[in-house]
Amino acid sequence: MTRNVEAALIVAASVIAALGVAIVEFAGGAWLDAQVTLTFITFLAAFGGLHMAIRTWAQSADPLLLPVTAFLTGVGFIEVYRIDPRLANVQRWSLLVAAGVGAWLLYALRAEGVAVLRRYRYLFLAASVVLLLLPLLPSSWPLHGATVNGSRLWVRLNLPGLDRALSFQPGEVAKVLLTIFLASYLADRAPAMSVVDRSIGRLRLPEPRYLAPVAIAAGAAFLVLIYQRDLGASLLIFALFVVMLYAATGRAVYLGVGAVLVVVGGVVGYLSFGHVQRRVAGWLHPFADYTDTGYQVAQGLFALGSGSLTGSGLGLGRPDAIPAATTDYIFAAIGEELGLAGTIAVIAAFVLLVTIGFGIALRSRDRFRKFLATGLTALLGIQTALILAGVLRILPVTGITLPFLSYGGSSLLASMTAIVLLARISHEERT
Amino acid sequence: MNDPIRRLAYGILTIFAVLAVVATYTQAVAGPEYRDDPRNVRLAAFRTGRERGAIVTADGTVVAVSQPDPDDPRVFRRSYPQRDLYAHVVGYTSVLFSSTGLERERARDLVSNRGSTISGVLDVVFGGDIGPRGLRLTIEHELQAAAAEALGDQRGAIVALDPATGAVLAMVSSPGFDPNTVIGRGAGSAGVALEQDPNRPLVDRTIEEVYPPGSTFKVITTAAALESGVAGPSALFPDRLEQALPGSSATIRNFDRGRCGEGTEVTLADAFVRSCNTVFAALGMEVGAERLVATAEAFGFNEEIPFDLPVAVSRIPEAASFADDPAATAQNAIGQRDVVATPMQMALVAAAVANEGTVMVPYVVDTVFTSDGRVEAQTEPVPWRRAVSPATAAVLAELMERTVISGTARRAAVPGVRIAGKTGTAEVTDAAPHAWFVGFGPLDPEPGRRQIAVAVVVESGGVAGESATGGSVAAPIAAELFREFLGLPG
Repeated sequence: MTRNVEAALIVAASVIAALGVAIVEFAGGAWLDAQVTLTFITFLAAFGGLHMAIRTWAQSADPLLLPVTAFLTGVGFIEVYRIDPRLANVQRWSLLVAAGVGAWLLYALRAEGVAVLRRYRYLFLAASVVLLLLPLLPSSWPLHGATVNGSRLWVRLNLPGLDRALSFQPGEVAKVLLTIFLASYLADRAPAMSVVDRSIGRLRLPEPRYLAPVAIAAGAAFLVLIYQRDLGASLLIFALFVVMLYAATGRAVYLGVGAVLVVVGGVVGYLSFGHVQRRVAGWLHPFADYTDTGYQVAQGLFALGSGSLTGSGLGLGRPDAIPAATTDYIFAAIGEELGLAGTIAVIAAFVLLVTIGFGIALRSRDRFRKFLATGLTALLGIQTALILAGVLRILPVTGITLPFLSYGGSSLLASMTAIVLLARISHEERT
Repeated sequence: MNDPIRRLAYGILTIFAVLAVVATYTQAVAGPEYRDDPRNVRLAAFRTGRERGAIVTADGTVVAVSQPDPDDPRVFRRSYPQRDLYAHVVGYTSVLFSSTGLERERARDLVSNRGSTISGVLDVVFGGDIGPRGLRLTIEHELQAAAAEALGDQRGAIVALDPATGAVLAMVSSPGFDPNTVIGRGAGSAGVALEQDPNRPLVDRTIEEVYPPGSTFKVITTAAALESGVAGPSALFPDRLEQALPGSSATIRNFDRGRCGEGTEVTLADAFVRSCNTVFAALGMEVGAERLVATAEAFGFNEEIPFDLPVAVSRIPEAASFADDPAATAQNAIGQRDVVATPMQMALVAAAVANEGTVMVPYVVDTVFTSDGRVEAQTEPVPWRRAVSPATAAVLAELMERTVISGTARRAAVPGVRIAGKTGTAEVTDAAPHAWFVGFGPLDPEPGRRQIAVAVVVESGGVAGESATGGSVAAPIAAELFREFLGLPG
């Protein structure tokens, strides 16, 4: 029964995506064309396929996960299509690939469930470290790292006979693998780690060796910051570690130590790296140095302000004036063309997603599944909050993608994997 | 074990609530401000093709207008029929080069009210006036044209005001440019050429450029002396060939390297009329940095002048920074060294003397009118600040009148009219001096007639070059303005 509701909602989301593309076409003076049909078919194939996979291998999964994801992906796709149809054509393939990987994952986990992942945790840890380091490969190799906008987080693969290099951001996938590792590790160690047997003054600390993971997390995050100059990924990975440690142990001291380390890392980063200083300058005074450091932030605010309540309408704004409008700043582009109505709808959908995710975590009976659901949900939630806070000028812009909405195959693949795992976990609790 | 997860969930959801609130604030509350920011390209892109209201002068001369494109009647083309003459005041609306002048600052007043207010919506429903609104300026076309002609090809600026109201009567910056070239076909290369022109035609020298005011600043030094009681017009000063500067090997000499008067003593009044640097250097040191700065600030220095267009701040350093340096005080007192002023500021100085010591808020937009000619908003004259007492203003006016009758500003005189003025020849390094004149007239207007206060600056001496003085170059330009204003033959 609920599966039929899910199917109906997925069709609705696909219709929204197709209609959005149609509106963009009208605004550009075109008439209904193949793009509209293609979009509808792609969404139906991707999410309908995932829906069928869930029906087959995870029939008790939460019925709202996929429709909300489809809605968010659709809204993002419309805006990407509106800004650059060529990117949207790539994104369509990315969506199909991500859905295919998701369906395969559901198939692979069909017998033993997510518990099977627990066994390979050190493999995942190793894989995520390798993935994080991949962009450092020298540029002359066929498989090599690449620097985009001052951050080295891309890997490109030059294949013979292909004039365009395949590129992806391994860090996106690494985040999900790290979450699996952490959930597994903490499921074994959490009881010991939550024992508080030392105190320095009034500060009560666990056994030092149990603080080691936080130190490792801080170290790893900082290495990412130094070698890849990627503020966002570094902050996100670190926040994920701290939040999962807190969830597993219930010890607020992890949050406290984590916050202190973020501040220390932030100050050190600010003092050491020009690109961090530029981000901070653009954040504090976007209009003082409008033509340089403040340009992106200011353009984002212009876009959001111009959008006002109901927006300019799809295809009628100037989101192309915002740097990185299809990736980091997609939220500002949506705010311009769909107005406050659109931005609140996006935030509401994320709220729904996060609520569902934590609901799954709370209902999980097994510690590993509980931590995994918490980690995946926190990952999506924190990543969304970080980039939205950047666009809305609450924090400096950290340069990460908005899950499901931003253009980018790696990001979509990682986020989709997280959703599929959540779906599988929710299925396991009801059987 | 669920408690931390629950708290985590609440934490993240709280963050989302904050994000929603900030998004609402950014888009709904602060939104219009961002939307209307002149740097927002959406604004110009949105406005270039639409019909926008006309801008006309006080006498009805059209200086900016939108007309339907003959090829595509849905698209409107902006044009500026007076070309160079109002280039800086009116500016232009350009997608390529962002917008300038009133076209930028008052862009919101040049569109239709339709839809933005309840009465606007009602107007649409009941078939009322929904055309774009327009601006009427305070500038008088004949005076503006005369000012531009008097400056000719020389680099410089002229500001003319009604001292009683602050209404700008003429405002010319030279060299100008034709705004039509920057918005139409070929705008890209034309705009770049203007940006790279070494004469910087895009700069509005009346309000965006600051110059050392030279001896015109002596009006302020004298005001400081009079207000504080340090010296009156008949106070006697030693008539030296050069004034020593304590703590410095430099000395200050008069412009002609001679003495001020007969050789023994000279009154402050005579020193003002002849613009003697030796006396004013001594006077400045007596007045002191504190009072000098306070008086300059009373006239509007060190503060942004409230105007329809952004005005560069005219500056004198903080008193504390040169209070212990008599040499600096003496040099600042004669308008050199660290003192710089916009022509607008110096016009306000003259206007304050004319208006019994009160500086009015200057304005150039008189009314906003609807497309059916109804006045929607009218600028009311507002006093900005009290510069000096009426008594001091009267003494200054008398000194300035004597300067026109028998002093350095003789060439600003108009036969049969009482004119007041002060010249300045501001030394600059590596270039010919800037020639200044500030003044006003008539001193005794017929009942119901207005006065005019003017500031003229000719950069680097203009065509006269090294030999230029304020009296020989700037004063005659002012005389032409006075004659045009009074309707007298040239």
